[in-house]
Amino acid sequence: MTRKQKRLSIILGALAFLGTATGLTFYALGQKTSYFYMPADLTTASIAPGQRIRLGGLVEDGSIVRDQGTRVSFGVSDGGGHVEVVYDGILPDLFREGQGVVTEGTFDPSGTFVADSVLAKHDENYMPKEVADSLKAQGVWQED
Amino acid sequence: MVFWIVLGLLTVIASLAVILPLAGRREEAASASVHDIEVYRDQLAEVERDAERGLIGKQEAEQARAEIGRRILKLDGADKNSSEQRRGESAFARGLAMAGVLAVPLLSWGIYNSIGSPELPGQPLAERLAKNPGESSIDELVARAEAHLRANPEDGRGWDVLAPIYARLERPAEAATAYRNAIRLLGPSAARETGLGEALMMSAGGVVPADAVNAFQRALDIDGKDPKARFYLATAMAQEGRIAEAADALRAMLADLPETSPWRGVVEQTIARAEEEASRSSTAQAGPTREDVEAASGMSAEDRSAMIEIMVAQLDERLRENPDDPEGWQRLVRSYMVLGKADEARDALTRGVAALGEDSGAARELVAFAAEQGVKGMEER
Amino acid sequence: MVETGHFALVLAFALSLVQFVLPLVGSRTGDARLMATAGPVAATGFAMTAISFAALTAAYVLSDFSVLNVFENSHSQKPLLYKFSGTWGNHEGSMLLWVLILTFFGALVAAFGRNLPATLRANVLSIQGLIGSAFFLFILATSNPFARLNPAPIEGQDLNPVLQDVGLAIHPPLLYLGYVGFSVCFSFAVAALIEGRIDAAWARWVRPWTLAAWVFLTGGIAMGSFWAYYELGWGGFWFWDPVENASFMPWLAGTALLHSAIVMEKRSALKIWTILLAILTFSLSLLGTFLVRSGVLTSVHAFATDPARGVFILAILTLFIGGALALFAWRAQSLAPGGIFHPISREGALVLNNLFLSTAVATVLVGTLYPLALEAVTGEKISVGAPFFDLTFGPLMVPLLIAVPFGPLLAWKRADLWAASQRLALAAGGALVVILFVALFIDRASVFAALGIGLAVWLILGALTDLALKSGIGSVSTSVALRRFAGLPRSAYGTSLAHLGLGLTTLGIVSVTTLQTEHILTMKPGDTVEVAGYQLRFDGLQPFQGQNFTEDRGLFPLLDSDGDVLTTIMSAKRFYPARQMPTTEAGISTRGLSQMYVSLGDPVDGGGIVVRIWWKPFVTLIWLGAVVMMGGGILSLLDRRLRVGAPARRARKTGEATGAAH
Repeated sequence: MTRKQKRLSIILGALAFLGTATGLTFYALGQKTSYFYMPADLTTASIAPGQRIRLGGLVEDGSIVRDQGTRVSFGVSDGGGHVEVVYDGILPDLFREGQGVVTEGTFDPSGTFVADSVLAKHDENYMPKEVADSLKAQGVWQED
Repeated sequence: MVFWIVLGLLTVIASLAVILPLAGRREEAASASVHDIEVYRDQLAEVERDAERGLIGKQEAEQARAEIGRRILKLDGADKNSSEQRRGESAFARGLAMAGVLAVPLLSWGIYNSIGSPELPGQPLAERLAKNPGESSIDELVARAEAHLRANPEDGRGWDVLAPIYARLERPAEAATAYRNAIRLLGPSAARETGLGEALMMSAGGVVPADAVNAFQRALDIDGKDPKARFYLATAMAQEGRIAEAADALRAMLADLPETSPWRGVVEQTIARAEEEASRSSTAQAGPTREDVEAASGMSAEDRSAMIEIMVAQLDERLRENPDDPEGWQRLVRSYMVLGKADEARDALTRGVAALGEDSGAARELVAFAAEQGVKGMEER
Repeated sequence: MVETGHFALVLAFALSLVQFVLPLVGSRTGDARLMATAGPVAATGFAMTAISFAALTAAYVLSDFSVLNVFENSHSQKPLLYKFSGTWGNHEGSMLLWVLILTFFGALVAAFGRNLPATLRANVLSIQGLIGSAFFLFILATSNPFARLNPAPIEGQDLNPVLQDVGLAIHPPLLYLGYVGFSVCFSFAVAALIEGRIDAAWARWVRPWTLAAWVFLTGGIAMGSFWAYYELGWGGFWFWDPVENASFMPWLAGTALLHSAIVMEKRSALKIWTILLAILTFSLSLLGTFLVRSGVLTSVHAFATDPARGVFILAILTLFIGGALALFAWRAQSLAPGGIFHPISREGALVLNNLFLSTAVATVLVGTLYPLALEAVTGEKISVGAPFFDLTFGPLMVPLLIAVPFGPLLAWKRADLWAASQRLALAAGGALVVILFVALFIDRASVFAALGIGLAVWLILGALTDLALKSGIGSVSTSVALRRFAGLPRSAYGTSLAHLGLGLTTLGIVSVTTLQTEHILTMKPGDTVEVAGYQLRFDGLQPFQGQNFTEDRGLFPLLDSDGDVLTTIMSAKRFYPARQMPTTEAGISTRGLSQMYVSLGDPVDGGGIVVRIWWKPFVTLIWLGAVVMMGGGILSLLDRRLRVGAPARRARKTGEATGAAH
């Protein structure tokens, strides 16, 4: 190989590398990110069972049901819709009825949301950002 | 005085940092290439060391030496080309130096003058608590109570006493926590549950949130005739647009109220307005206004006016310190009118207008607001 | 006292302006006196900032609630340590700490830079002055920590129990030391661009600053990760949270800079790239500051949500990044190119390192900013989390880590890859044995786990091989080898140690992510569960009254296979009545390098309680590895090579003789 060819092959190699990395990034952005929905959005959007999403809203009063083991089910609503959520694990410290919550997981074929993570607000003043925005947009929750 | 001396001293030190090097003798700086050569020489020494230790191969060391040698040669050539062109001190440089020297005191005193608070001494807590409790403000007394409750968080009576004080000091979040603690430790009572509901309502800015509704309902479970709880529950219904239901609830409440109850007037008025709303069949939210709520709750507590006086005095004091607060002035004027102190209200209006600036929009708004509240006397001026 | 601090802050701002203007004009016009102001002004600016910071700290320690900042972020009942750390535990105070560190570094450059060429020194300090002016202005205009309250309240507002933690107290200063340390590299880069030439001493100066900043940043990130691990009770050590990414990006770029600066120092090559990297690294530090300080991300860290601040920081960000890059575009081609090299050589390996690391920075940047951009443009909200980074960052790291052991074994300029491979045969063999062992003998170990652990072992053995080869073990007699080993330059140890630490961290991460076991179950008192060969018994809940909290302590005796009690793990649900705030206190027991992690959930009907138990094999290696990496960095920093040569006085004395020397 001449010097020129060598340099060309190095440049091509680097370009191929960057191309692969870019492609991978775009692929991952399309596949591996999860969209955020509120229960009201779900009445119009159709989410296929198995697609990962993040679901936010307020925990409905009196909807928390624990079985003997570690499974918990509760309702999430935003005034415009309602979703039944089941979760197997430990709920966060600040998980309470009437409080904002963000869960991540997938719908099972029966329409129940199976969450694998549940986040509640972090401190007394913190409402998960997405939940607060959407609730404000719908007028359910107001900042004074 | 000591404070100003310290400030002066600091300014002098800072200015000296600029003046001294400018006044110093001009040292001839070594040209950049001299520095470079020193680095290259060090690199050569390093190559020798590495070669000695066997960290790099013989051939590699030879190449490295040759390369560094080439760099030194190149540097010599470059040095001759760019014979350092040093100009003497120009007028520009002298002017700039002067500006630099002046900038330090002028900028610092100028900026500090506009943002500093030199009249305020430091107030470490230990010194302040050593003062006589008689001189303490209401805030300080509350702080003492808080300190006590921190040490004894299970003192339910303490929470019970503190909770309504928080509410009157317009610290609703703390009031709610205190009521919750009192309920937890002393058990629920209609007064505590209503207080909690009221505090939650205050936090929500007058809207009745769901947890407040729950609190009022718990209060009614204990005392089915608690007027405050019933009134607020009706308010909640009205806010949700269930005006007819709200009116029904209020009518039921009116039937239960004794003839002498201070609530009658407010409830009757509210019903009347609700009916009017309903007949207009508008979808807009109706219900009792904030003033009604305040008036009603005012009647239920006897010592309220004393408390209000203190609050108003505090507001007045705060505005004297921090006058740029149009809403604060409006509140002050209204408060004096509510307390029936028209002279004070007029005085507050005058001071407010002066503080906000005679011709400012905020001042005009304040005057208009005062006129609405029935303050007289501005027209004469 | 307080107002003295306030005034000192204003003075420091004035000084930073002088520090920016006079030396810069001096260096452009060749006026030595103007240039000479840089040093004393920088030192005095630091002294003023230190006075200011001391005044704020005193206000915190003495609970002076006439200072708004103290009132908002402290409380008379806080333990002394947290009053102290409260000084920088909030937005205003942390920005003051930021400029304190900045001026401190400026003073260091002034103190130790006497042997730098005068114009370079003046320009560097001038740029430091510019950065300082921008941030002082930011503090005075939008985030003044000395705003006063009159009348002063009697009690402060904050006693948030979650934030009272030693880890959180030292995490921000370490991060800031890292972020701000890169500002010196940035100033050097911009100074070189202003002058249009790069002095030979340039890389020798930039490298120790990069090293120091990198060591602090490594410590800061590791500390933050450790805090999240034991305090939040989720057992995770890295969440790909935007705030974490904000500190991770400068770290990656700084690592790249660390390596490219070696090439520049040894071979005078990659000059332009190194300058660009120095600019980018500090830009990413500024971006990190912006993301955390502006409140565009709402999370625990974002306590500043005032949009005026966000806009101000954004303006600073634009000014510095845009200005530096424009200067770069204008002046870069005037820099003389340096030595050439063959693709397969030490330089080539370092370029490969830079290629991978900068691409990794790009993916993290995309993953961090894309959700923000998407929300701003379309209003759609998405979350980019671990799955995204596993797919993009992961594949980038694997080839890089495979290549790491080769780098130090390659010769400069042109190397023999085959010879290097032969030398690494032992390490490769060791890694293979480990892969087979894990795949065959450890239950539940996937192929992925085996390969990952093999990769980590490869890194560790590779680093050790490098040391062994350098001291000549195997080729010379043992006593000679030992003597050579003892006499190796510190930077050689530094390299090996840092790569070793990288291997240890990789081992920790891989084994925790692939081999950890998790049990979520309901336990009643007396129940026993078997976890990783241990028996964990639940002895019930015990109420406990703390100073300002109550807690239910779950007691879990840990028994070995013979039934002997090794230790009792205590995991608690704590409740702060005054704030009505519950917290979870995880119970952690360290067994060797691994940990048993017990977290309590809610009680269930019938007297049981939900318990979450993790067995985390080799988890401590994640942070031990970081400590080893820091050790490597510190050793390199102590290498005599980096105690920059060219002392000015000696240079002048021997000035005339330079032609003759060598």
